[in-house]
Amino acid sequence: MKTLMLGILFFGSLLAQEVVELKLPNTNKVIINLMFKNGSVCDPAGKEGLTSLTSALLTQGGTGNMTYADIQNKIYPWAANYGSSVDKEVSIFSFEVPQDFLNDFYPILKGLILNPSFSQNDFDRVKRNQQNYVDQVIRASSDEEYSKKALEDFLFRGTKYQHMIQGKSESVKGITLDDVKNHYKNFFTRNNLMIGIAGNYSSEFLATLKKDLQNLSDVKPVTPTQIAPQMPKGINVEIIQKDNAFGSAIFAGFPMNLTRKDDDFAALMVANSFLGEHRKSYGKLYQKLRETRSMNYGDYSYIEWYDNGGRNMLQPAGTPRTTNYFSFWIRPVQIAKQLKNQYKELEDIKVGHAHYAIRMAIREIDNLVKNGMTEKDFEATRTFLRSYINLYVQTPGSRLGYLMDSKFYGKKDYVNEMDKKLAKLTLADVNKAIKKYWQVENMCITIVTDKSEAEPLAKSLKENLSSPMSYSNIVKAGLPKEVLIEDDAVANYKLNVNDVKIINSADTFK
Amino acid sequence: MRTLFSFALPIFFFSAIGFSSNAATKPFPYPIEQHKMANGLNVVTVKFDSPGIASFFLVVRVGSRNEVEEGVTGFAHFFEHMMFRGTEKYNKDQYNEELKAIGASANANTSLDRTIYHMTGNAKKLEKMFELESDRFQNLHYPIHDFKTEAGAVKGEYTKNIASPFAQLSENISNTAFDAHTYKHTTMGFLKDIIDMPNQYEYSLKFFDRFYRPEYTTLLVVGDVTPERVNKLAEKYFGNWKHGNYEAKIPVEPEQKETRYTHLQNSSIPPYVSLNFKGPGFDAKGMESPALDILCTILFSENSKLYQKLVLDEQKVRSIYGGIYDTRDPNLISIAASIVNKNDMQYVKDEVLKTVEAVKANGVDEKMLAETKSRLKYSFAMGIDNPSSIANTLSHIIQLTGDPESINHLYQNYEKVTVDDLKAAAKKYFTPEKLTIGTISADAEGGVK
Repeated sequence: MKTLMLGILFFGSLLAQEVVELKLPNTNKVIINLMFKNGSVCDPAGKEGLTSLTSALLTQGGTGNMTYADIQNKIYPWAANYGSSVDKEVSIFSFEVPQDFLNDFYPILKGLILNPSFSQNDFDRVKRNQQNYVDQVIRASSDEEYSKKALEDFLFRGTKYQHMIQGKSESVKGITLDDVKNHYKNFFTRNNLMIGIAGNYSSEFLATLKKDLQNLSDVKPVTPTQIAPQMPKGINVEIIQKDNAFGSAIFAGFPMNLTRKDDDFAALMVANSFLGEHRKSYGKLYQKLRETRSMNYGDYSYIEWYDNGGRNMLQPAGTPRTTNYFSFWIRPVQIAKQLKNQYKELEDIKVGHAHYAIRMAIREIDNLVKNGMTEKDFEATRTFLRSYINLYVQTPGSRLGYLMDSKFYGKKDYVNEMDKKLAKLTLADVNKAIKKYWQVENMCITIVTDKSEAEPLAKSLKENLSSPMSYSNIVKAGLPKEVLIEDDAVANYKLNVNDVKIINSADTFK
Repeated sequence: MRTLFSFALPIFFFSAIGFSSNAATKPFPYPIEQHKMANGLNVVTVKFDSPGIASFFLVVRVGSRNEVEEGVTGFAHFFEHMMFRGTEKYNKDQYNEELKAIGASANANTSLDRTIYHMTGNAKKLEKMFELESDRFQNLHYPIHDFKTEAGAVKGEYTKNIASPFAQLSENISNTAFDAHTYKHTTMGFLKDIIDMPNQYEYSLKFFDRFYRPEYTTLLVVGDVTPERVNKLAEKYFGNWKHGNYEAKIPVEPEQKETRYTHLQNSSIPPYVSLNFKGPGFDAKGMESPALDILCTILFSENSKLYQKLVLDEQKVRSIYGGIYDTRDPNLISIAASIVNKNDMQYVKDEVLKTVEAVKANGVDEKMLAETKSRLKYSFAMGIDNPSSIANTLSHIIQLTGDPESINHLYQNYEKVTVDDLKAAAKKYFTPEKLTIGTISADAEGGVK
């Protein structure tokens, strides 16, 4: 009787497991993704970065019977690989292994997830690197990535979404190995796990995996979702000044209550693609700022988080969120110091191109809100997207990732369903969504720039000074009249600026 | 997020390497169909099971290597930008509209030895891809104002890249290590030349006339297509493309006689040491390139003794990486480490050299050699799982030798690499006379001897 009861209970637990399967019998590999619904929103106050450190230690440490070096030695000839990624609301462990070695590799996977060694030595190494990331890397290696992370810090100030995934300088310092062990027990459990598997595996293998993962902790963690950030009042700007920056890197945005879960998402996807499709030359922002005026390397807009936009050309899976915001990205534009050095005719300018670029981007959004899209642009953009979204899922890994994200949003197959929604969409739907979700009166803007640029730029923004575009003579000479007329309008376009602050790089992410 | 520390590593251009698990077939698991057209354009088709999707690549064997004239460094890359500025038939706005209608992921990129134009998208739009690409490759026509304006975008790209101290160091290392060869400058070019680009319109016409020719180009299509259809479309759209007659005389780099140094004073990132030995140019049929690839994998991957000592046990190094730049002409073999404490910079350099000296004296363990071959084989097999990664792999080998079959030659040679090959390569290339040391630290001088 007792045995029977246990059996029933066990069966009940199995049914509760969330599993996404993608059988591909012709492939030569197996991919296993374990998605825990925790993410940096689960970091305790004062221990920001703990979820990231816990995930990193699980994949960069040893198991109960193997050191990290033992594991590396063992999997080396197989070319098996694995790693972790953490976002605001999920942590994902990804394993990829040739089908030939799946059974040899499986005990290692099991050991890493169920029986991590949590050695002090591994902890010290992994923590030191994370500390270095929050202290130095984010501030020094890419001004674009810096301004993007700083924007999230600004937009979500005072909420669980504010801090970087990797935490803050002070908080990472305070994380102990015991914190990690407790966090593992409380937030990496069988109750917040989604299992994903793709490739050439047997049903027996999956059954074993599911059964074994029942041995994770049974704690039922509570993950904060749908963080409600305040809509900023007016346009608020934070200028982050640093030594020897070569340009001004800009990110801007405002909270938006819309995710892939919602019906309006398809409509806004069309509008956004038209305004600023990622790394494409079709967007309005790109055409106005880069193509016509060659102010920088590119200009794009987003209706959800886009991870590592500098590297990824197609949107990667693995960062599903219940809280969202609209943003636009202006890649580094020229600062006065550089322009003065480069062109004699610009030796008297006080400020570089940032103010102009921000005005141009906001004015384009404003025009779209006021006028909507045309039928022609709508059709062209919809046609593009119906083909383009299929490219998100070209590989077994990306297909699995997108299916898991779909499940997070309560959907079966986001890409497929999106195509159907796009097919039914009308221009009126799109223009209605633009008016409902977009505006230009209230937003946060972060600018990473050189010390020499910060003061004059702050003054220009704060006082809504005219910001004429400063071309070199050689470019100016050939500009068509309509560009010059538009330049005039942009230079004097009024922004609803409420506040402009200058912050030293060392004082960000506090 | 996943690559938290990858900032510390410069970008290497490794060959994609591996073996087929089926010894009876060629190492590259898919048939490579080649069709050489009368005008010299090589058309390559690889059929792959990707329903409805195809990758369309044009690989032009022109890069910053070909920039032999004074004042035009970075021009191959700048020219890549100009290829999006329209033709008589489609001005840039119409070109954008047509491209958007295809619904493809399309872009281009330039490196030392080549420029690649790529589209991945709906295989049903294959003919439109041919039409658009053949038009701009033969009939590119941009207004002079567009030319002058586009130079600003290149400067914007430079501005974005140079924010990284590693990009700054990389620029300095090339400039220090090379005297005569065009690998002295990066693909972006020197800033002074980038600023001068708007004045080079006439040169841009010459550049197009010289290099955008069938003999410099390979047309590569991978995915849900047949060679018959690809070849037919190639004849239809590229058949009238005229062969050119220009060949750049690339200066030969004189032999380096002693260790060189370059240092970047920067306190915003951890101390960094980069050791760069002059290596050989890529040769698919010889044993040196495969031997050096295998050697670097053995010495510097995460299971190497050096990694485990410096990173895991002593924790003096955050990350270490090593590999050879795959290029047509001799380029650098680079080993780079991000270091915890600047006082250990010399120690790390000495440890790397000790490891290399041990190979010269004792070779490597046979088991490790066999395991490395296995690793390369499986890594390769897992990576080629979609049309664009296959096209990228083949593009890489095409840029090096002009022949996609070189990928099979390379694989076959990997299998043949012996411990003696590794010893010979180490002895020949890891010597102080061939070394350029690049460092980053808060100090005014690098201090690594």
